[in-house]
Amino acid sequence: METLQVYKKKEFMHQSMLNLFQYQNQSELNRFQCQKTLIMFKNHIKIAWRSLKRQPFFAFLNTFGLAIGMAGGLLISLYIYDEMNFDTMFKDADRIYRINADIKFGGTESKSAQVSAPMAAAMESDFSQVELTTRFRNLGGMLLRKSNTEANIKEEGATFVDATFFEMFGLDLLVGDMQTALKEPNTLVLTRTAALKHFGLKKAIGQSLVLNNTDTYTVTGVIEDMPERSFLRNHNVFMAMAGNEDAQKQEWTSHNFFTFIKLIPGADIADFQTPLQSMLGTYIMPYVQTFLPGATEEQLEASGNYLYYGTIALKDIHLYSAKDHELSPNSSIQNVYILSFIGLFLILLASVNFMNLSTAQSLKRAKEVGIRKTLGSDKPALIRQFLTESGLISFISLLFSLGIAVVAIPYFNALSGKSISIPFTEPVFWMALFIGATVLALFSGMYPAFFMSRFAPVKVLKGAGATSTGGGNIRSLLVVFQFAISVFLIVSTLVVFMQLKFIQSKDLGFTKDQVLIVDDVYTLGEKATAFKEQVEQLGQVQSATLSSFLPTPSVRSNTSFFKEGGATAENSINMQIWNVDDNYIPTLNMEILEGRNFDRQFGTDSTAMLINESAVAILGVQAKEALGMRIIRNFENGSSNNFTIIGVIKNFNYESLRENIGAVSMTLGRSTGSLAVKLEAGNFSNSISSIEGIWNKVAPGQPFSYRFMEDSFNTTYEAEQQLGRIFVTFTILSILIACLGLFGLAAFNAQKRTKEIGIRKVLGASIGQITYRLTTDFLKMVGVAIIVSLPVGWYLMNKWLEDFTYRIEISWWVFAFAALIALTIAVLTVSYQSIKAAIVNPVKSLRT
Amino acid sequence: MIQIQNLNKSFRTEEVETLALNNVNLKVQEGEFVAIMGPSGCGKSTLLNIIGMLDNPTSGSYQFAGHEVGHLKENQRTQLRKGNLGFVFQSFNLIDELTVFENVELPLIYLKMNKNERKQKVMAVLERMKIAHREKHFPQQLSGGQQQRVAISRAVVTNPKLILADEPTGNLDSKNGIEVMNLLTELNQEGTTIVMVTHSDRDSHYAHRIVNLFDGQIATESHNRAMGALM
Repeated sequence: METLQVYKKKEFMHQSMLNLFQYQNQSELNRFQCQKTLIMFKNHIKIAWRSLKRQPFFAFLNTFGLAIGMAGGLLISLYIYDEMNFDTMFKDADRIYRINADIKFGGTESKSAQVSAPMAAAMESDFSQVELTTRFRNLGGMLLRKSNTEANIKEEGATFVDATFFEMFGLDLLVGDMQTALKEPNTLVLTRTAALKHFGLKKAIGQSLVLNNTDTYTVTGVIEDMPERSFLRNHNVFMAMAGNEDAQKQEWTSHNFFTFIKLIPGADIADFQTPLQSMLGTYIMPYVQTFLPGATEEQLEASGNYLYYGTIALKDIHLYSAKDHELSPNSSIQNVYILSFIGLFLILLASVNFMNLSTAQSLKRAKEVGIRKTLGSDKPALIRQFLTESGLISFISLLFSLGIAVVAIPYFNALSGKSISIPFTEPVFWMALFIGATVLALFSGMYPAFFMSRFAPVKVLKGAGATSTGGGNIRSLLVVFQFAISVFLIVSTLVVFMQLKFIQSKDLGFTKDQVLIVDDVYTLGEKATAFKEQVEQLGQVQSATLSSFLPTPSVRSNTSFFKEGGATAENSINMQIWNVDDNYIPTLNMEILEGRNFDRQFGTDSTAMLINESAVAILGVQAKEALGMRIIRNFENGSSNNFTIIGVIKNFNYESLRENIGAVSMTLGRSTGSLAVKLEAGNFSNSISSIEGIWNKVAPGQPFSYRFMEDSFNTTYEAEQQLGRIFVTFTILSILIACLGLFGLAAFNAQKRTKEIGIRKVLGASIGQITYRLTTDFLKMVGVAIIVSLPVGWYLMNKWLEDFTYRIEISWWVFAFAALIALTIAVLTVSYQSIKAAIVNPVKSLRT
Repeated sequence: MIQIQNLNKSFRTEEVETLALNNVNLKVQEGEFVAIMGPSGCGKSTLLNIIGMLDNPTSGSYQFAGHEVGHLKENQRTQLRKGNLGFVFQSFNLIDELTVFENVELPLIYLKMNKNERKQKVMAVLERMKIAHREKHFPQQLSGGQQQRVAISRAVVTNPKLILADEPTGNLDSKNGIEVMNLLTELNQEGTTIVMVTHSDRDSHYAHRIVNLFDGQIATESHNRAMGALM
């Protein structure tokens, strides 16, 4: 036993000594290796730099192409980072969800981001997983003035909000007490910007503000401006929900409240779906039975109606939520995907260029490789050398790309509607750049490095390498790849623009041209009609109509009606109800298919109703038969209204062309949100100043705000226009990169075929024949690229168009045109090099 | 067939002007076999290029078959070359990407001959040069002698009046060199005029006449009487 222990001890000592000895040797070895590597690296860099200097043309093509690709990739990465990080700044953002409702009732479907007012309280009391709820009742823009002044200031983004707002989103008040700030009715909290605009930061507390010339509110707090990357951006006024009447009502079928819940830590939202849906049985059906006696969930389902509750994570709202009337306009994950692909394409294109041009230069490098190998360089050492070169080019390109990005970022922001800046002060940014450039250098440099280090010294030194370095097929494949992407992008650009043009020129069922909209007319109160009448007197004005409801983005109101015969689910019709005046139809040039417009001569027209074709379809009758039918309004607050249909309006697109045209009804009523003025053709600025003159006389001190209906219409398609612009820009960039590659390759090809061109010329080939031959070789590649990319373009763009109810069909000429553009660009790029090669005297070519 | 008078050719680089040919006068009769010899840089290849209408002289006159061709434009020279002239080079100058058949067919394509006729002619010449069995091979798959036979096939496939050979045996071993020279002699005996640049004394003896160039000028001209002895 003792012997064994002694042995083990000795063994241990021996091992330790050995380790120590090895360690000392290893350390020296490491130091030596390190020095050797450093010297080699320096040597590689020196040679790489000389090699670049020796071939400035190729170095330029390589660097420039890569820099453009990197700059594009960088800008797109910043865009995507921005898009993917919405609402992440809020505390507990991971536990916050919004409740949605998908509803079909009375023939109308809606996907609502809002639910009923009593939902929040019910969830908080019934479900233990719910820690907190906060509701928003969005009001949009409103006029604010200090109580002691007359002049109003328009403030965008006003909303009622529950007092839990601060706790829910982890917001601190700059001034004021969080516990009491929004507890009392008629109190509000301003953002820093709004507070500074009206009072100053510190002075704001306790001040009074009159909203829309009606209600007086007291400022009880000031918060920091809402972050740009949040669903509350552009919201500046937060009013206490306690003062909102609707918020206190137990109306389970009006969906007007954005409702956010915060789950307790550890709770899983997936477990919440069933309890959430059970609220239909617990609360909604009993409420429905109060006006539809005997209604059951089964009946609701059997009649094709539904109400599905769902949730969406706060952080997903920006990219994944496309509900009706969101708090702020959202983007879509589809756009992120499209841009990611474009960014990836750009970098790939640039990388492919790099590979192509580097292997193309192998003619010149073959001899060098041969000599190096003869002198003892092994393959890994050569690979390291070539990778160092690609690394050097990659990092030089990176510097250029940063320059390009700095210059391009204002344009990119205008293009994408963002306000992105390059985070130069962030270490993470530099780290990402470094890693990106290294990966790109390795990715782009690996193939050329392996390709060139493979040359056999015997062959290349004999001169065989000069014409047969190979790799031609891969280079052709890479060119095909580049052009396939370019052709795909050309097709996509054409389709996006054609769809936009289609939207702009489609017969919408109303005329949006020459219509000026004056907003906030309600602030004139009783004087609104006088204002309208005076405007109508102007010579430049054809007609004018007062209404809050316009067929471009505007106020909407959806209400349930019933056909005569009883309040049953079968008889229900869900329709927009728009209060308009008798000038509405002629001013917007809408067409009455059957019946007549409202007429002041008829006293009974106060209960008359116009409906559109979609509403007629829900009624299940022909347009003619609809005339005279009576429609009963929902029994809200116990009151009911009966309407008689007096006319049927031709369907008009009042939502985006992505949507079907829903049912709309119009009744005569006083709704003074906006005045739509149809102007005579001519000088609009004169007309506007005349109208503004009248406004200032009628309502001194009220801000005059106007817009053209056409512009308002166009904002609906801002996303598509943005996409179109992005496509154009990146298509041009990708074509530019592809052309750089093709240009370099054509130069290389001409160089490689110098001898062949000479022989052909000696044998009687003309310049034209040589040029044709050199050019057609490339055109064949572009031809293959076209064949590959067109079906892909057709498939993907049809997928994109599926989002539109009203869309174009992609006709054959789009593909023909895209092919023609690609071929023309390729011919122009290649023919310069081809002609240059073809006119060389064969004596010279054969001498080389 | 060829009449050259007071022909000069100079090359200008950025700094210096080099006179490659200096007042050269030369006549070549139809059916003649002329060897041009001289040390490296004496202007042999320059003269051959001008005779082959690959290059224009700087001054002087060059008449081919009675027509002044010394100052033709490139297109006109190309037209005249086609079918009239055949070239054989030291380094064969075959196109690596084309097969033996395609290489030989090339001048006929530029003459816009139809496919059947082309095939017939190419096969006939390949048979004659005893290389028909290699018609589908690529130049890299052939020996030097075989490659030069292909090059000669290509030179003669159009039945040119004149064959210009620039050191045709320079890259060949002696056996293949003799074979090539025998082929050229055969063609000459059938009536083709041959002008050949060579360094080789042995090859020069196949010619009827030897023109010696020195510093761009014709130094000596001699008629060859021992030719028959080598054959």
